[in-house]
Amino acid sequence: MSRYLAKRLFMAVLVLFGVSFATFIVGHLTGDPVALMAPENAPQEAKDELRRHLGLDQPLLTQYARFVGRALTGDLGHSFVQGTSVAGLVAERLPATLQLAFAGFVLSLLIAIPLGIIVALKRNTVWDFVVTALAMVGQSAPGFWIGLMLIAVFAVELRLLPVSGYGGFAYLVLPAITLALQSAARLTRLVRASMLEVLGADYVRTARSKGLRERAVLVVHTLRNAMIPVVTMAGLEFAELVSGAFITETIFAWPGVGRLAVTAVYQRDFPLVQGVVLFAAFAFVLINLLVDLLYVAIDPRVKLA
Amino acid sequence: MTSMRGAWTRRLFLFTSLTVAAALGAPAAGHAQGAPPVVIASSEDVISLDPHLLDSNNPTGSVIWSIFDSLVRRAPDGSPVPRLATSWERVDDVTWRFKLRDDVTFTNGEPFNAEAVKVNFARMDTAPFNTLQQLHDQTGLKEVRVVDDYTIDLVTEAPTVNMLYWLAEAFIAAPKYITDTPPDEAAVKPVGSGPYKLGSWSRGDRLTLVANESYWGEQPSAKEVVFRAIPEMSSRINELKAGTVDVVVGITPDVAGEVTSDVSDVVMNEGLRKMHMGISLNGEQPALKDPKVRQALNHAVDVPLMIEQLLGGSTSQLTSIVNPPNNNPALKPFAYDPEKAKALLAEAGFADGFPLTIQYSTRFAGGKEVSEVVASFLEPLGITSTIEAVELGQFRKELSAASLKGIYFQGWAALINPSVELVILTCGHVDNSSGYCNPDYDKLVKEASQTLDDEKRKALEFQAQEIVWNDAPWLYLWRLPNVFGISKRVAYDFRADNYLEPYLITVK
Repeated sequence: MSRYLAKRLFMAVLVLFGVSFATFIVGHLTGDPVALMAPENAPQEAKDELRRHLGLDQPLLTQYARFVGRALTGDLGHSFVQGTSVAGLVAERLPATLQLAFAGFVLSLLIAIPLGIIVALKRNTVWDFVVTALAMVGQSAPGFWIGLMLIAVFAVELRLLPVSGYGGFAYLVLPAITLALQSAARLTRLVRASMLEVLGADYVRTARSKGLRERAVLVVHTLRNAMIPVVTMAGLEFAELVSGAFITETIFAWPGVGRLAVTAVYQRDFPLVQGVVLFAAFAFVLINLLVDLLYVAIDPRVKLA
Repeated sequence: MTSMRGAWTRRLFLFTSLTVAAALGAPAAGHAQGAPPVVIASSEDVISLDPHLLDSNNPTGSVIWSIFDSLVRRAPDGSPVPRLATSWERVDDVTWRFKLRDDVTFTNGEPFNAEAVKVNFARMDTAPFNTLQQLHDQTGLKEVRVVDDYTIDLVTEAPTVNMLYWLAEAFIAAPKYITDTPPDEAAVKPVGSGPYKLGSWSRGDRLTLVANESYWGEQPSAKEVVFRAIPEMSSRINELKAGTVDVVVGITPDVAGEVTSDVSDVVMNEGLRKMHMGISLNGEQPALKDPKVRQALNHAVDVPLMIEQLLGGSTSQLTSIVNPPNNNPALKPFAYDPEKAKALLAEAGFADGFPLTIQYSTRFAGGKEVSEVVASFLEPLGITSTIEAVELGQFRKELSAASLKGIYFQGWAALINPSVELVILTCGHVDNSSGYCNPDYDKLVKEASQTLDDEKRKALEFQAQEIVWNDAPWLYLWRLPNVFGISKRVAYDFRADNYLEPYLITVK
């Protein structure tokens, strides 16, 4: 197990290196942050000076080497635009992002798993048809539309909840529902399909023919096996939520990592782009590792080596 | 089974009512003591509270204007008004003398005096501040001389007419504090002498200002002001309608009608940004080098119709490259006259037209629509257009390099300062993205910027305006309309330059 973990950690470092190099090169090829930062009527000398000040006059590889050198000591540099430390800026956004990600994720599981199981058991009934159709709609309706509709009804018409912003529990409700509905729609269909596949498996037929009670067949034999693909998918969904839900954050003015990332890209704030991309990559690597460990817990046949 | 279901229903009901109670309780809690704060919603967040890193008018500029004072305030029409300076005079051609207020203290107790001005101006002239601060670059300021505690002389390299204009954006922070504090910290903990001081700031969400009780001027009507960052326009409008936001900045004209409700009104004014199709003289279409062709383009497009159809008549046509009240009133817009346009093209030797690329970026709303309409007006002249969207960073890069392909949708110089507005189109100027160059024009502009006599300068500026207008480096469009939303519980007179002065908001 510890050898496995060491191997995974080594891989993670390689992934982070690759990601940082790719973002660095691609980012720097897309445009000049100085053109975006300097005031419209700034003289050329001022722009050149700014370029020097930011270290952008150095060759690209020198800049990258400098970045890696600092990153290894834990210093991700300073944002070009805001002047403060990148690590600090990402850390500032983290609580809001994690709150929204957890709330949205838990809510989507609470919707998707029971619903998926029920429609799998009631296959080809009206319930199955209605839920599957709703899931299709949920999956194809754009997130911003769901968000705007929720705002129009609950915040503007009924004035039950705030329109947008970050604060107490009330502020979390609408964005969490917006995220959960999209993610739940995907997961419900997966739970249903996965349950149906397992329900048709030989070992389930065997379990039934042994005369086991239906509940035991479901919980012990079906559910556990059906959960493997669901855990994979849910892990990816969660990693995506943690690395920032840009559209939902934008509509609800939620101060999360997603908005930070997109703004940084638009402003060509290279150190900040590096910072958020590394954070997102790290979140994916970590959550994937947790998912793998979860496989072992769910399915004793899985061995990590 | 029934009882189980009953218990669940009860629990679910309890949960729902708790949720609703929490929901209702949370926004109300903030209003517990005193009058509710005035909430201003902008699309962007405040970037830095370092007064010398000011780089955008709103919200960063609005907050800096509230926390810090400058020597003079720029009135909405561009004229200078006393602020920390009580009066000023020109001692000689290159020296300005300012009398300063003697009753001002910074919020940390430091006194304001001539030395404070000297310290701040010196800081503005060092990196990285000198890349954003334009006082020294634009005025040629070379020496700050302390005459006595409350008198200061500003000496420039050459005579300048722009001193007062740029002083309005040169802010004075507590001198000892700003010198001793690391820039990282100064950027989040501002110490000034303005009508407000910083309450709290959570980046990406909201910034709260509270009235400065020791302020030397009149106490503001709004004791607490909150600047919120709400990137999505429809959410900003929804907040206004829900009564949770009082002022909304950054609304596009096409949705202005949605802003009015039982609690809110829409306010429009003509902004300072001069929207135009820049004409790239050194791009891929050599025909554009000919002034006749550029005039033909201007005659070919029905700008009043576009203002009516695309912008709901919310603004007016450009009549000069200088904003009112400093524009040359003798100049008139190019009339919509397709026949004349054809004749001019024929004179220039392009009777059959030519291919043309029209580019736009995401910087200004409606770029695509404007490009398409212009293209349709040019088509009858035989000018066949290709429309291209360019990503903003790339677009800015090409503007700086004056390397756009044909014509391009752009808004320039949100200023009320004839000297600065004119200098942009001089040969090789960094913002001269169309590559226009006329030595006669340059000579007039340079002469005007060093002519201290108001009447003489005005005459030179009028002459320069006339030359560039007829040379037509732009396809002239309109002044960018500003649309604001305001709740019925506050009153405020919006400025055209988008700075927002919360200390002038009245709570009814």
